[in-house]
Amino acid sequence: MNELNHIVFHACFWLMAAASLLGAIGLLTTRHPLHGALYLIGVMSALAGLYLLLDSPFLGVLQILVYAGAIMMLVVFVIMVLNRAKDGDARRPDILSLLGALVPLALAAVIVPQLAGLPLATRAGEAYRGEVPAIAEHLFRTDGGQGYWLLFQLIGVLLLVAIVAAVLLAKRTLDTPADDAAAKDDHAAHH
Amino acid sequence: MPPTTDAFDPAVAVQVLAALLFCLGAAVALVRRNVFLILMGIELMLNAVNLSFIGFARTLSGDASLWGHITPIFTIAIAAAEACVGLAMVICITRRSDTVDSDHFAGMRE
Repeated sequence: MNELNHIVFHACFWLMAAASLLGAIGLLTTRHPLHGALYLIGVMSALAGLYLLLDSPFLGVLQILVYAGAIMMLVVFVIMVLNRAKDGDARRPDILSLLGALVPLALAAVIVPQLAGLPLATRAGEAYRGEVPAIAEHLFRTDGGQGYWLLFQLIGVLLLVAIVAAVLLAKRTLDTPADDAAAKDDHAAHH
Repeated sequence: MPPTTDAFDPAVAVQVLAALLFCLGAAVALVRRNVFLILMGIELMLNAVNLSFIGFARTLSGDASLWGHITPIFTIAIAAAEACVGLAMVICITRRSDTVDSDHFAGMRE
């Protein structure tokens, strides 16, 4: 039974890893931003599966809800609203941008051998599973230990500020002064 | 406890995968000219860092292991705020210059 678990774990792990890498390569080489968004949703779903495998069910669910669900929905929505998808077809990477690819290539050449040689070992039984009760207990700890509740509140404020900033940024271009005056007149006429 | 060879430990493989995904995300952000693809490259880099945190969480013991599960929560919230403001800026710039090619966004240079 343990043997079977082991095989299933490895099959799932390598499947998810391969899917996420292929999706990332697809994102790099796609011609259409909308296809790129779909590739990225695939990567994020595969990563959510990896999180579930790696003892982090809460973040796996959060990954699907926030990343694959909310953020990518927003990206796809804006691509479709601006209807600029065909713009992506025109430009292929030229020499200058291919030179830019040397930087991440060099980064990978430096980091990957280092990481591959790390003496890391999974501590089964010693490490917490990333489940909601344990995370909540440590996130909102007030018994003198290191809690993150203040940071949590600040994140809430940051999100609120981001939403207000996004509305202001997107709105400013929508209504020219003339439209503004017309809207005011319209508003006055209703009263 | 050193890693045993008979039972393969995914801890190192996770870190290598995270590094590769990060580099692919950086490549997308640097090579592609479409602003949407640049933003998605940045999102991919943030995802890779989250995977790295979760991979490391399993190699620690006790309270330290939970920090690897708590930090990605903040990363995800930051990514949401970044996507929100970033896409609003894309809408703003696109309305002004009528393109999503980042080569045309050189107004600050002139």
